[in-house]
Amino acid sequence: MASSPLKKFSGAARPSFKKRHSIQGSKKALYWMSLPALSLYVFLFLMPVLNNLRYALTKWDGIEEPEFVGLDNFKKLATDDDLATKVLGNNIEFMFWVVIFQTGFALLFATYLVKNTRTTLFFRTLFFFPTILSSVSVAMIWLFLYDPNYGAINTTFKKIGLDSFALNWLGSENSALYAIIFVQVWFHTGQMMVIYIAGLQQIPAELYEAANVDGASRWQQFKSVTWPMALPTSAVVVAYTTIQSFRAFDLVYATTQGGPNNETSILTTMIFQTAFNEFRFGYAASQSIIMVIMIFLITGLQKRILRTRY
Amino acid sequence: MKTKGTNSFSARRIGAVAAIAFALVATLLPSAFAAGEAFGTACTVEGASTGTSNTSLVCKAGSNGKLTWQRVRLASAYGAPAPALRAPKGSIEFHHWRGAEDGATFDKIIALFEARNPGAKIKQVVMPSGDYTNLGYSKIRTNEKAAVFATFRGSQFVQFAKGDMMTDLTAERFTRQNVIANGLIPGRYEGKQLGIPLHYLFNNPVYNTEIFAKEKWELPKNFTGLLNWCKAAKAAGYTPLAWSGGFRPNAGQMLNSMLMNSAPNYATLEKRIEDIDTGKADLQTAWFKDMAGRYKQMADAKCFPDNATGVTDAAAINLFATGKSPVIPTGSFQMGAIKTVNPAMTGKMQLFSLITTDEKPQYVGIQNNTFILSVNKNASTTDQKIARAFISFMLTGEIASIYANGTSQHVNVLDATYTNQDLINTSVWQSKKTLLAPRFLWLNQGVRDLMEDALIAIVGGKPIDATLEDYSKQIKQKLS
Repeated sequence: MASSPLKKFSGAARPSFKKRHSIQGSKKALYWMSLPALSLYVFLFLMPVLNNLRYALTKWDGIEEPEFVGLDNFKKLATDDDLATKVLGNNIEFMFWVVIFQTGFALLFATYLVKNTRTTLFFRTLFFFPTILSSVSVAMIWLFLYDPNYGAINTTFKKIGLDSFALNWLGSENSALYAIIFVQVWFHTGQMMVIYIAGLQQIPAELYEAANVDGASRWQQFKSVTWPMALPTSAVVVAYTTIQSFRAFDLVYATTQGGPNNETSILTTMIFQTAFNEFRFGYAASQSIIMVIMIFLITGLQKRILRTRY
Repeated sequence: MKTKGTNSFSARRIGAVAAIAFALVATLLPSAFAAGEAFGTACTVEGASTGTSNTSLVCKAGSNGKLTWQRVRLASAYGAPAPALRAPKGSIEFHHWRGAEDGATFDKIIALFEARNPGAKIKQVVMPSGDYTNLGYSKIRTNEKAAVFATFRGSQFVQFAKGDMMTDLTAERFTRQNVIANGLIPGRYEGKQLGIPLHYLFNNPVYNTEIFAKEKWELPKNFTGLLNWCKAAKAAGYTPLAWSGGFRPNAGQMLNSMLMNSAPNYATLEKRIEDIDTGKADLQTAWFKDMAGRYKQMADAKCFPDNATGVTDAAAINLFATGKSPVIPTGSFQMGAIKTVNPAMTGKMQLFSLITTDEKPQYVGIQNNTFILSVNKNASTTDQKIARAFISFMLTGEIASIYANGTSQHVNVLDATYTNQDLINTSVWQSKKTLLAPRFLWLNQGVRDLMEDALIAIVGGKPIDATLEDYSKQIKQKLS
C-alpha cells in the first residue's frame, strides 16, 4: 500500500468538498476496477474451495444427492485407511528426496553457471531443456529407458558387466518410487537453476571481491557469501519444489499409475483415483483438504528452518 | 371395376410371392453354398455358423437332438436390417476413446454420413482410454453437444445409466433388426436398451501362427498342457506370454481367460464376482485363491516375461510384434496396434484358447461386446436426432464393414462383410462357445483395481496368502 495512488490523498490538510467528492469517486472507480479480478477469484477459486469443504463432509458419488456425514470422512482417513497412510508416507518421502536433490543440483549448477558466457549459456540451455517438455512426453521417454528387459539403462548395465544394477525399475516395489524421484529431479532441476541464477546474479560483486582480498577459498566464499545471500531464493525454490512434489500427478500417472502395489501413489493420484475412478467424491474432497494442510505445514516448517520470510 | 380390382390384386399377389421366392433363393443359396453348407443337412460343431447376416445358417440341435444347419434369427426381431435414419441439420460431438485406433476410419465414416445428410456435422472428441474411464462422465455430463458417445461395458456404462444420461433405444428398428441380439445385453440397464455395443471382440490371447508352425507346437488343450508349452517356449528362447504386468488395464485382460472355466456355470461365476465386488466375500475365498494359485503356477513355469511387473503395454506389443513372444494375452482388439508396429504380422494372427483347467472346458474363449454407443439425454431434440441417425448409420452392414475392416474389429452388426485378413481368420470364433468377458462383472472399479493388483503382485513373486490377505483388507476398507 506504500506506493498506492491513494497515499497522496491521505495528507493532514482536509481537502475541499469538491476534492473529497472526487476522491470518493476515484475510490469507487478503483473498487469497480478490481471487480473482474475479484469475481474471477471468487468463482474460480473461492467457491470451489468452499464447495470442496462442504463435500468433504458428505458421502457423494457425483451422481446422486450428497449425504451429510459430518467428520466421518476425516475419521476414516485417520483411523481406517491403510492405503491413505501409505500414500501420505510415499508423498513425504517423494517430497523429501526431490527437495534435497532438486535444490542441491539446482544450486550447484547455478553456482557454476552464474556468469554469462557462451559456455554457461549452452549448459544453462541444456539443463533447462527438459523443463520445456510435457510431463507425459517425459514419462514416455523414461518408460522406454527404464524398461527392465530392453531399456537403454539395463542394456547398458548388462553390456558393461554390471548386471546386478539392472533392476526392474518401475515394476519393483523397492525401486519404483526412487526411479520416479530421479525423473522428477531431472525434469525440474533446470527450472530451479534458472531461479537460482537470477538470485545469485543479484549478489553484489563487492562481497566476493572483499572475500578474495581476505583470502577466502571458494568453499568459504560459498559458505559465507553465496549461501546466506541466496537464502531468500532458496526459500522460494524449496517451497516451489515442495508444492511441485505434491502435484507430480501427471508424471506418476503416466509412468506407473501409482503401482506396483501403490508404492508410487502420491496424494494427487490417490485423490484422482478416489474421485474419478471410484466415484467417492466426498471422500476425495476430504483427502484433498488433508493434502492442502500437509503443504501448509511443510512449507511453514521449511520457512522456519530457512529462518527467512518470503 | 370389381373384376379389374380382383385381377389386379391377384397379379400383385403373384408378383409379391414371386419376389419373396426370388429374394429367398437369392439370399439363402449363395450364403449356404459359399460356406459349403446347406439348410437341413447334418453338421458337427454346435454353434458354428455361415456368417452373421440375417440369412446365415447356424449348426443347431433339433428336437430329435441331431445337429443340422438351421436358419435362426440373429437379431431380436424379424425383418431385414433397417436403413439408416435421416439426420436433420445441425452439429454434434461424438465422444470416445479410440482415437489412435479408429480415428482415421471414423473420419471417413463421418465424411460419408455428412455427405448423405447434408447440413449434419459430427466432430470427433477423443480422450485416451484411461482418461475416458475417469473423466468421460463428468465431461459428457456438462456438454450438451456431446450428443453421441461410447462407453465401456461394465462400471462405466452403469455409471452413465445411473446418471440418467442415455435415451432409451429399445424401440428403434436398428436395435431390433440390425444388431446380433446376444450382443445387445451389455447395453441394457433395468430393461431398457440404453446403448448399442458396436464391438464384437475376443479377449482371448492372440498367437503368432507362423512361430507355432515353425516350432511345430500344438495349441495347449488344458492347464497342464499350457504349463508344459510355457516351459518349451521358454526353452526355445521365447517369452511365452507377452503379458504387460506394468500396465494394469491390459494385464487384467488375461483375467477373463483365468475366470472362464473357474466356476461350474455362469450364474455361479456372476455370484462369486458380485460377492467380492460388494464385500460379501474377500480375495481369500477358496475359488479366488485357487485362481491366484494358477497365476503363480504360470509364473513358476516361466509363462510371463522376465521382470513381468515392469513390462509396459508398448513393450508387450513389441515383444509380440517382433516375434520374441508367440502369444499376447490381451485380445483381438490389439491386432491393429500390433500391425502398426509390424505390418508383416498381417494374416499371421489367430486366437488362442487359454484353458486353465484339466477337466473338459465349458468355454474355449472370451467374447466381449463393448464400445457401447448411446444418445445423450441432455442433448437438444435436434442433436439427439442427429445422434440417432449416426448410430443407425454405423449399424448398417455397409458402414459397419468399413469400420470393421478399417480397424480390425469384429462388429456386432448384421450383414457386416469382413475383407480384412485377420478378421476373416478369426471370424470362426464367432461360432465357438465363448463366455461374455467376466472381468467386467466387477462394477466397482476400485475393487477391481485392487484385485488385479493382487494378482500382478503374485506374478511378481509375492506370497499368495499374505498378498490376498493384504489386498482383502484394503478392499474392505475401501468398501466400508
